[in-house]
Amino acid sequence: MRTCTFSTGAWRRLSPLVHIVALAACAGGETKAGAGATGGEPAFRVALLTPGPISDQSWNAGAYNGLKAIRDSLGAQISHIQTKTPAEFEENFRQYGAQGYTLVFGHGFEFQDAALRVAPSHPKTVYVTTSGNTTGANVAGMTFAFEEASYLAGMLAGRMTKTGVVGSIGGTELPPVRASFAAFEAGAKATNPTVRVLTSYVGNWDDVSAGKEQALAQIGQGADVVFQNADAAGLGIFQAARERGIYAFGANSDQNGVAPDVVLGSVVIDLPRAFMAVAREVKAGTFTPRVVDLGMKSGVVQLVLNPRLADRVPAATRAALDSARVAIEAGTLKPLGDAPGWAETTKANP
Amino acid sequence: MTEALAAFLEATVRTATPLALAALGESVTERAGVINIGLEGAIMAGAFGALVGAGVAGGAAGAGLGFVVGALAGLAASALFALFAVGLRADQIITGTAVTLASLGLTGTLYRSIYGETGASLATPTTAPLAVPGLSALPVVGRALFAQPPATYALYLLVPALAWWTFRTHAGLALRAVGERPDAAAAAGIRPRRVQLAATLFGGALGGLAGATLVLAQAGTFAEGMSAGRGFIAIAVVVLGRWHPVGVAAAALLFGAASALQYLFQAMGWRLPYQLFLALPYLLTLVVLASVSARAAAPAALGKRDA
Repeated sequence: MRTCTFSTGAWRRLSPLVHIVALAACAGGETKAGAGATGGEPAFRVALLTPGPISDQSWNAGAYNGLKAIRDSLGAQISHIQTKTPAEFEENFRQYGAQGYTLVFGHGFEFQDAALRVAPSHPKTVYVTTSGNTTGANVAGMTFAFEEASYLAGMLAGRMTKTGVVGSIGGTELPPVRASFAAFEAGAKATNPTVRVLTSYVGNWDDVSAGKEQALAQIGQGADVVFQNADAAGLGIFQAARERGIYAFGANSDQNGVAPDVVLGSVVIDLPRAFMAVAREVKAGTFTPRVVDLGMKSGVVQLVLNPRLADRVPAATRAALDSARVAIEAGTLKPLGDAPGWAETTKANP
Repeated sequence: MTEALAAFLEATVRTATPLALAALGESVTERAGVINIGLEGAIMAGAFGALVGAGVAGGAAGAGLGFVVGALAGLAASALFALFAVGLRADQIITGTAVTLASLGLTGTLYRSIYGETGASLATPTTAPLAVPGLSALPVVGRALFAQPPATYALYLLVPALAWWTFRTHAGLALRAVGERPDAAAAAGIRPRRVQLAATLFGGALGGLAGATLVLAQAGTFAEGMSAGRGFIAIAVVVLGRWHPVGVAAAALLFGAASALQYLFQAMGWRLPYQLFLALPYLLTLVVLASVSARAAAPAALGKRDA
């Protein structure tokens, strides 16, 4: 997994224990072959690089489910690897390119530079970065209008708060996360003009205890609805919500079942659906490198309300959410107002 | 205002508890002349052990068993370190790094194979804070000091006990002798390697307890890499605390306070880059380290291979 890429120089200097360790760590990087290729046809092989563990029940879990869907529906051979540093992104992109993989997903905004550097050396492999907005001859991006459904979550938060304070907590301040929180704030102010919106960042995506403390600090400032987008660290935010009896929103995957008593809803990216759409085109040979924009209209991004807490949401609020959803899908309501979305503002990349 | 202060102090003690446990253990290890960089790995092993232990029994008994299994898992991780670093005299820094990497990889792999790709959710029992009647009603500091999970109360006993043991008993003297002059200690009939092994295992067990605290007293679940560098911070806390149990506890509190301040500043909506707040605990540690290290008090044989 994360330690499979020792350079040989360092390798020789390390003690024998390190070898054992590296082997043990590498054993975790699973390679699962699917139904496989038939006859002499070249196999359709798809790989996924995630920035974190696929057990996070969020961003990375969704991508892995997408990879499995590609295996099950398109008969692809799949491989997944967890990476940590930009050097590992590049190394693993190269590895998969050299092994002749047809399609390689880099799961996050942060994979773009590595994809752009590696892609020219492996022209037969298509590199797709999720949340990426750069393209090349064989590099594509998928952007998710996460802010559209975040706006709806904000509207609901604005209606549900009793204290007039709501919070948002992210892992690190990536542009999509920042845009999502801005939309959440705009949505909350649309239904509750006097609402105060707090924003904190954990600083990483793994530290569950720190996530919980960030949430407790916001609760201490009066927040009674908290929107989290912090992957594994977000579990601590749910835990704080459970202990203090406040509402929370999940992100990326449907997290309504993680803490069913407090999670009002989840802003979901249907990653399997998005991954399948791209993989189908690549397999058919009809894929053209571009930035695939996916939002609420495509059904890939949506606010999924928790059925367990449905009776707490007044009918009038539901109706307001529905009409806002229709307006956003029609393009008449822009969650971030006239400000350009994060994808446009960051398109300065070559 | 007092309410905000009380909440800040509560967060300080909560954040300091796992750090203090890990750092106290490491201070004993270092007193024997062994620096265990594998502490981070012991914390991760402890966290995972706690999850498994608590899951097996369930309920309050599960939390108790979780702490035991967590301590044992931390001990096992440090036993691996001791095998190479104490037994075979391998380089302590490289061995410790290897143990940390191994533990991060192994716990992640085992977690996925046992709990599947969906993870353990939030079903792990947690040890709720126990309010001490009377004392927890004290103004401002009451809840911070006396409405905490049992792991914090364990520290109230451990710190004075360790201070007494280290400086007032023969065994404590032997430990310090091994860390200062192993050859002289050997001449006096002490077996340095045996002392170092015991000190390393003790440090690992406390590191395991720190990991168990993260799972059983705070998160209520497990996440890969959830130790998030606490093992390395604990090593800095040991230096900051001058290898003295009371100093180490105070240093852990200082670090906890800096973290709690960071949580509070962000939640108060101060319009400054959040990275500045996140860096606060580390900056503070650097400043304090720079100002107190003038008089070095590290055990003389710390990190030396040929003890």
